[in-house]
Amino acid sequence: MPDKITRVATDVGGTFTDLVCFETDLESGELKLRTAKTDTTPPDFEIGVLNVLSKSGVELSEIDFLAHGTTVVINALAERKGVKVGLITTSGFRDILEIARGNRPDFFNLHYRKPPPFVPRFLRREVPGRMTYKGEELQPLDLSPLPEIIDGFKAEEVQSIAICLLHSYANPSHELAVQDEIRRLWPEVFSVASHQITREWREYERTNTAVLSAYVQPVAERYLNRLDSGVRDLGFSGALYVMQSNCGVDTVETASRIPISMVESGPASGIWGAAELGKLIGERNILALDIGGTTAKCSLIHEGQVKIVTDYWIERNRLSSGYPIMVPVVDMVEIGNGGGSIARVDEFGKLYVGPKSAGAIPGPAAYGKGGSEATTTDANLWLGRINPNYFCGGAISADMEAAEKAINSIGAKLGANADEVARGIVRIANNNMVNALKLVSINRGYDPRDFTLVAFGGGGPMHAVALAQELGIRRVVIPPGAAVFSAWGMVMTDLRRDYFVTRLADLKPGSAQVIESTFRESEEMARKQFASEGIGAERVEFLRFGRFRYQNQEHTTEVEIDLKTIGEEDIKAIESGFHETYEREYTYRLDAPVEMVGIHLVASAEAGRFTIAERPGGTADARAAIKSERDVDYALEGVHRATVYDGTVLEPGMAFAGPAIIEDPGMTVVIHPGNKVNVDGFGNTRIELD
Amino acid sequence: MTQASNDPVTLEIIQNSLQSAADEMFAAMKKTAMSSIIYEVLDMGTGVMDADGEIASSGAGIPAFIGVLDKATKVIAGKFKESGDMRPGDVFATNDPYYGGVTHLNDIIVAMPVFADGRVIAWTANIAHNSDVGGMAPGSLTGDATEIFQEGLRLPAVKIISEGRPIEPVFEIIKVNSRMPDVIEGDVWAAIASVRIGAKRLQELAEKYGASVFEEAMSSFMDFGEKVTLAELAKLPKGTFELSEEQEDGRVFNVSVTIADDVFVVDLRNNPEQAFDPVNTSRDGVIVAAQMILKSLTDPNSPCNAGSFRPLEVLTTEGTIFHAKEPAAIGFYYELELRAYDLLWRCLAQHMPERLGPGHFASVCGTFIGGIHPDTGRQYTIIEPQLGGWGARAGNDGNSAMFSAFHGETFNCPAEINEARNGLYVDRLQLNLEPGGEGRYRGGHGIVMDYRLRTDNGFLTIWYTRSKYPAWSLDGGNEGSPNYVHYIPSSGEPKKMTFASNFTTRKGDIIRVVSGKGGGLGDPKDRDRELVREDLRNELISDDCAREVYGLEPDR
Repeated sequence: MPDKITRVATDVGGTFTDLVCFETDLESGELKLRTAKTDTTPPDFEIGVLNVLSKSGVELSEIDFLAHGTTVVINALAERKGVKVGLITTSGFRDILEIARGNRPDFFNLHYRKPPPFVPRFLRREVPGRMTYKGEELQPLDLSPLPEIIDGFKAEEVQSIAICLLHSYANPSHELAVQDEIRRLWPEVFSVASHQITREWREYERTNTAVLSAYVQPVAERYLNRLDSGVRDLGFSGALYVMQSNCGVDTVETASRIPISMVESGPASGIWGAAELGKLIGERNILALDIGGTTAKCSLIHEGQVKIVTDYWIERNRLSSGYPIMVPVVDMVEIGNGGGSIARVDEFGKLYVGPKSAGAIPGPAAYGKGGSEATTTDANLWLGRINPNYFCGGAISADMEAAEKAINSIGAKLGANADEVARGIVRIANNNMVNALKLVSINRGYDPRDFTLVAFGGGGPMHAVALAQELGIRRVVIPPGAAVFSAWGMVMTDLRRDYFVTRLADLKPGSAQVIESTFRESEEMARKQFASEGIGAERVEFLRFGRFRYQNQEHTTEVEIDLKTIGEEDIKAIESGFHETYEREYTYRLDAPVEMVGIHLVASAEAGRFTIAERPGGTADARAAIKSERDVDYALEGVHRATVYDGTVLEPGMAFAGPAIIEDPGMTVVIHPGNKVNVDGFGNTRIELD
Repeated sequence: MTQASNDPVTLEIIQNSLQSAADEMFAAMKKTAMSSIIYEVLDMGTGVMDADGEIASSGAGIPAFIGVLDKATKVIAGKFKESGDMRPGDVFATNDPYYGGVTHLNDIIVAMPVFADGRVIAWTANIAHNSDVGGMAPGSLTGDATEIFQEGLRLPAVKIISEGRPIEPVFEIIKVNSRMPDVIEGDVWAAIASVRIGAKRLQELAEKYGASVFEEAMSSFMDFGEKVTLAELAKLPKGTFELSEEQEDGRVFNVSVTIADDVFVVDLRNNPEQAFDPVNTSRDGVIVAAQMILKSLTDPNSPCNAGSFRPLEVLTTEGTIFHAKEPAAIGFYYELELRAYDLLWRCLAQHMPERLGPGHFASVCGTFIGGIHPDTGRQYTIIEPQLGGWGARAGNDGNSAMFSAFHGETFNCPAEINEARNGLYVDRLQLNLEPGGEGRYRGGHGIVMDYRLRTDNGFLTIWYTRSKYPAWSLDGGNEGSPNYVHYIPSSGEPKKMTFASNFTTRKGDIIRVVSGKGGGLGDPKDRDRELVREDLRNELISDDCAREVYGLEPDR
């Protein structure tokens, strides 16, 4: 019997590779937290991970659970560093990848450039054979063109093959037959069939998903294999898990086969962390906000559940239609507003903040590394919200002259002084983030006043209260170690797989069987996959969601079905559940037939999760943590004398009131006048607004 | 810059919020609509207007709809301000171009006044294409109409919701006039939900910052729009530019554009008399076409609001095709509006080729297919614009398979969904490889799409243009290729068509939609040899084309 459990998460970011280690002493329940940071090492990212592991001093042979988050997939996509892919598709649909959907978001721009496909036309080939939307064979599959196609792919040095045939979501047998034939003809080449990634309809989206997965597969597999053998060489003998975009972790083997599901794993772990934290402290409705250097990400957690969707795109914005990736991704909004976001004034005197970021180099002007443009961080420094003498935990001495110069160059264009400009920058940045938070809440029919804001990332604690005020939110929670909270979330994850399956059925008497069997099939598939990884059926838990709409509609509304088995007697209740959810989201309901378009099944298995014990709140006086006092400009509320607390000295049970600032090496919490603060038994800073 | 509430930052924040309100309205409509033309094609738009109906902000979607909402709202606002019959919670609707509706009867515009401090401070509005509003033909659009009365139910700017309560008789009239009563009801309610959501957001803004600050934010936003247009206008070549263009039916359309430092005048007065077919447009329709060209020429990426269009003047003559008089039929207005737009584009492109390249396939290629779904027994109706090829640009080949310039965030219907929803087969959807559009930079490809019908007694209605005269080229490039439908009956002779009105279809027939290539730019002989070889390798051009048009001997 070991005397402690050690769980470690490593997270590869654009600049740094982070490590968080939790050691739980089984006897005392005491929890020890260790963190470490090293430089990220492109292009061989695994070296940085191995470096941070050695730097942390964690004994690898003692690690029970090792989770890993990586940007290797999104980087390979962004930098176009994947491999040459060949695509096999249904006769008549070779060009679907290039035709895409025909939309043009930048619609007044007559010089718009349609995003080019990842596979050129000569590597897109067809095979005859057709399924119907019901999954019935309309025309048998003809494999005879494959030898010639494969020879062509070999001659072109294709490294990876994607297969996407029409209606494979309803019946994958043609795709499987093509894949078997490819394996026979060319056993060494990697191939992926679209149904192995998603069982949803929309051929362009599914084709592009398969293509992008094939494009990054060899890169991701190589990386994960090197990482896996690297940690084993250092003595690690447990299971290595890889963070996914659906807030769960998966095995190295599965992640290597379908790497595309890692595409948004970065934000997912932080959002999952917020949901887990909520469960710990009894907050079931949470708005999670992660403010980093370049972007802010937010997501809504309702009744303890993160929302997972499959309409995800990369490189999509107001100027480009981007590329769809139909994999389960946590529902979030990301905007180009972070600590490094640059403020600028256009020729008409309008002030903007972001999306351009100063990045790590040169960084904000106050870094003193040659940055001459004012950023949100510079404005926060100028207003006294960040302590210039404790900048980045004292690691950098803030170059306030450079910050002032940068802010004044904006002021010259606006005819305003530095204070006014800095307030303006903070207010515009806050407004951008408020709009993002509205998108995930109000836009989806939720009232933010019913939610608690959990803010993390380097910038979250600095802006959280102002955003909460704007949205009428009454409670803000800042977790301890907010700057490395994403890694904390990763330590808290389960093995999780989300299955989205398209299946049409009218929701009416007699439909229970088809609905139940759709769930059953997916559950069976999930159990089988877990069993192949040594996880018994008893450890697997399911969550069922139906995706419904009024007849003739297209978009679906997802409704949880809290039943292990669906019988005829449940249909009425399922239907009224849909009407209710629909009305909350869209303000009205209809007396029209309802149909099911498909299901969403969540299958999860605990990967030996640990519990965190609550420490009793003491009677210690918060005054023990007071460092100093300083003037802080709260923008809308003016300048107030704030008490500055040392975050490393705050203890559970301590309480105080704003105006105040909490400083610890990784973050600054800005507490506004009138706020009441207490530190809970998990070390969270809880801020109550009036 | 002060802390007073009307400081520039506050105004900026309100202006950002106007945009997010319009976006939120758009998202709500998209997700709740019942017609695929709304939720998939996104033949819809949303917007925020000031109290007078001047547009301040609009949701994504169709650029050709942005200039519609303000014109409709102005008519509604004018009518009900006069009668004094306007209260909080009211919602109004119009679909008639002779009553502010701008487009055709299928497009119902729903508008809601926003009250604060006891006065109207803004409007929210929504436009969407309804699948069937009655009239002489299914889908309401027919080439046979000679009067607007044959094109469906007319809503002449009426109230549909009074202080939050639906006026039931109006809804009953709307429903009973449609062949798809449940769908139209669902779509109208989706539109109402959308304007209500927008109105609620604007009310919150006005409560928070004060009604007068809110109004100031709107007006300064429009002033900003005007400044952007004027700044860009100053950079354009000045003078009067003219073009006459022969149409496929032999008529000649004429335009003259005068550009000065502070004004952009579009003169469409010298044009044919209004027609007895439904290819006419309201004057508002060609104003929208002129607004779109002006916006593309000046600053396509800055906010688009009433101020952006202040320097624009449009001259028309009542009783002509571009300024139809009641009761002219207007069902296919969009094809004519697009002609006017393309005429303006072509007129100016020769004088400012770097801002405006060669032409695109320039037809909505509106395709209406209906019949009985063999698996459900229910009626289905496909209403869709088509993808086509765009013209080359200096340094780049044209885009392939995009909707026409009138569409923006418009999505085609996936074959898998099409087959399930409409009960027909989509046998192919591929790039059109017919010759055309060659050049130093070549035009993009149109599409070839086969619909194979599974039931008898369906219908096909189309009205395509740029079939005889394909996309125009510039600077020695080749013209694009034509738009048409190749109809392949299960028995009998195939035929090429560009016009069909309620043509009866049979099981096994194939409707092949063929859309054209965009125009080429520059002499094909000057095309980079590597690019010609790449086109050969991609099987986009034939060996003959490489040899004869591009002057490159293929190496085989």
